[in-house]
Amino acid sequence: MTLSRRDFLKLASLVAASAALSSCAPLSRQLLGEPVQALPPLDLEDFLALNRLTFGARPVDRARVADVGLHAWIEEQLAPDSIDDLACHVRLRNLDSLNMSAQQLADMSNKLFDDVDRKTVPTELRQGTLIRQVYSHRQLYEVLVEFWNDHFNISTDKGNCFYLKTVDDREVARKHAFGSFRDLLWASAHSPAMLTYLDNQANHKGAPNENYARELMELHTLSVHGGYSQQDVMELARCFTGWTVKERFWTGDFTFDSAVHDSGEKVVLGMRLLPGGQKEAESVLERLSKDPSTANFISEKLARRFLGGEPPAEIVAKAAAVFENSNGDIRATLRVILLDGLPLAKAKFRRPVNYVTASLRMLNAESDCGAAVQDYLLRMGQVPFNWPTPDGYPDRSEGWQGNLMPRWQFAFALVRNELGRTDVDLPALMTAADADDLPSNLDALGSLLLGAPLPIAERDNLIASVRSAGGSDDELLPVLAGGILASPAFQWR
Amino acid sequence: MTLTLSRPPSWLPRLAFTPAQTAPRGDTLVVIFLRGAADVLNMVVPHGEPAYYALRPSLGIPRPDDLRTKNNERSLDLDGFFGLHPNMHPLLDSWQSLHLAIIHACGAPDESRSHFKAMELMERGVDDERGPGSGWIGRHLASLDTGNSSPLRAIGLGRLPQRSLSGSVPVTALRSITDFHLGGDDRAVARMRAALNAIYAGDDFGQETLNILDILQKLDPDQSGPSHYPDTEFGLALKQTAMLIKAEVGLEVAAIDLGGWDTHFAQSGIQAGLIQDLSLGLAAFHADMADHMDRLTVVTMSEFGRRVAENGSLGTDHGHGSMMMVLGGHVNGGKVHGRWPGLEKDQLIGPGDLAVTTDYRDVLAEILAKRMNNPSSGEIFPGYAPQLRGIMT
Repeated sequence: MTLSRRDFLKLASLVAASAALSSCAPLSRQLLGEPVQALPPLDLEDFLALNRLTFGARPVDRARVADVGLHAWIEEQLAPDSIDDLACHVRLRNLDSLNMSAQQLADMSNKLFDDVDRKTVPTELRQGTLIRQVYSHRQLYEVLVEFWNDHFNISTDKGNCFYLKTVDDREVARKHAFGSFRDLLWASAHSPAMLTYLDNQANHKGAPNENYARELMELHTLSVHGGYSQQDVMELARCFTGWTVKERFWTGDFTFDSAVHDSGEKVVLGMRLLPGGQKEAESVLERLSKDPSTANFISEKLARRFLGGEPPAEIVAKAAAVFENSNGDIRATLRVILLDGLPLAKAKFRRPVNYVTASLRMLNAESDCGAAVQDYLLRMGQVPFNWPTPDGYPDRSEGWQGNLMPRWQFAFALVRNELGRTDVDLPALMTAADADDLPSNLDALGSLLLGAPLPIAERDNLIASVRSAGGSDDELLPVLAGGILASPAFQWR
Repeated sequence: MTLTLSRPPSWLPRLAFTPAQTAPRGDTLVVIFLRGAADVLNMVVPHGEPAYYALRPSLGIPRPDDLRTKNNERSLDLDGFFGLHPNMHPLLDSWQSLHLAIIHACGAPDESRSHFKAMELMERGVDDERGPGSGWIGRHLASLDTGNSSPLRAIGLGRLPQRSLSGSVPVTALRSITDFHLGGDDRAVARMRAALNAIYAGDDFGQETLNILDILQKLDPDQSGPSHYPDTEFGLALKQTAMLIKAEVGLEVAAIDLGGWDTHFAQSGIQAGLIQDLSLGLAAFHADMADHMDRLTVVTMSEFGRRVAENGSLGTDHGHGSMMMVLGGHVNGGKVHGRWPGLEKDQLIGPGDLAVTTDYRDVLAEILAKRMNNPSSGEIFPGYAPQLRGIMT
């Protein structure tokens, strides 16, 4: 991101100050963290909507929506560049690899004696991703970035993807999240990480590898029912021969190797392609981005992400029409889905990343989103960029409902401040909410985490149950907070 | 709109998916994957095959009656043709009690000889890249309703659940039973339990999870039981699997890995150590589970075998045909199953590799059908029609 001179100076002084105090958690919270705010009253519907549009509704988001209304808030979020995100940017300052070129990433990973460090680069990418999901003000943008990274899934476990994915995240999902689908698709097809992940560098004249050609149509554009044949896959694979990755002199960059390109004539999806080198597959990309099946497939997936379960057919149809008529304008498509669709949204079981980020966000946690947090995500089954198959992390509730134990453990560890390099200040939250005894504490927690206080009988029953296990009110407060995080209600959004 | 903690709010749909089959639970299945392409020819040694010794002048495991070598270096005869690597002697007990079966020249059709690709295809249970991305165990779990909603229905020992487990039924990865302990002293744990109890009152799945949490909280993997598991990661994985089975937490499938088998250089010592770990572990498990053998099946597999001829570094390169072992109370044991293709030049395939005469899916499908009450092999192994080989009784 480019900074104005004023922002740069602000950044420089913040970095200087925080570098000196980097081990001092409360002070860095003061410099970087959001001040704890009193909870503004918010319609439950808006609270639910916010939870669908962000990685967890924080008081600052709720205040903004209470102020300008949900639709205006959505419009603001659809223009992320106009949202100040300096504080988040400062949190990423030590993750140098995020901005490096492929060559630099390869160099930093190559150790002596053919030993390769395959861990540092993907770990920083994961950490940077989680930090942004928890701390960026550009929440809708981060939700879309996650969506596109799932859609164009690449696992850092495969070959050189361990470092190529960092570039891909920057140049594909982050660059085009709100742009045009055609540009996004173009970037993905030319992405060395994608070509490696789906074996396209092994795709040669005379020895074709169909993996990328198939997934491009099945998973990225038309969908499995979108109207392509096995013949189309084979012909498209021939078009993609030669699309590969440089191995030296700008290691990890895209290159077209005409020596292995199958230059015969091809027919793909009824298009006759005369020999044209790299442009053959590129013209198919243009064709795929405009196909009505693509409009439908992308609209449906986007709708499922935000509206849950089986999204209403009429919303999908309307969004698909906008997608087609606007040449794949993601913002315009999203507007339809959100503005028309949110009132019809159904609840969705929180995926592990969402569960963890929402817990951190809503409790105003200070976290480095490092090993301690990622360890829990691993046990819950979702670490960014680790899904092995090209279809990406499942976006349906059934995929995630079974594994409660790690969530319970995370919930209690978080509120009892037992999570490494992660800090929650429950007393401060209670003070900001003017809550000074357990019943009002629990009311405040209910409002904070679920959008409204619990019914009185249920609240009092919970307090009584926990009290019977003994302990002072100070000891019981974290248990109550952990209980809400562990509850069935908080697993859904 | 009223909010509530203990039941999902009224605006939540109840979601479920319905598996094709319903059946009572069968055996507990333990799947052990030897990662790195184990050299099976030195594990179950074809000592009756002259070509074996001709092609492995240094690495060949001596014949059972080879008096030129020390007693503890010779293969242990099984049936006059095959013998076991000497470090597999802990398994003779289960062989003699007919609980152990071996299927030789067993493997997958994939000839890529690529670890990554072969493992992936084998764990997915497919012939090539097309086909479901889920694992064969995942599809088994999804296609069979055993009325078991335990969160520990399927576990993968290790950091990440094995690929074979992936599918629509959530599975749990654990490195240690202590992964499931609520952290804190007894009083802290009591408070957390009280909170969870109140919140999940009336929620069946939550209650089940809480019951299991209670059971697990009392299990200490550091307690040494009567059996002698090797003090290795593999030994600990088996020990904990045994503890979980005995604790009756609803465990149906456990997946365990034993890595390090990619012996391109100086194979002898490395492989001897791995074989010892494997054998001591399995033998200890067999002894520990003596009262449960009736409802237990263990199967070992590896992504492919290794070149028959030794290479220039006293190791072996990637090959093809592999070997599976099945251990359990209902195994047609004390036998080496499968047609032995031979190691003569015209009997080898590719650059000199053992052929495959039994597809690994034949073994797995038979276990699933006969011991796990799951006949849906069409769904579990799409595009392949398994043959019955008589491995199980």
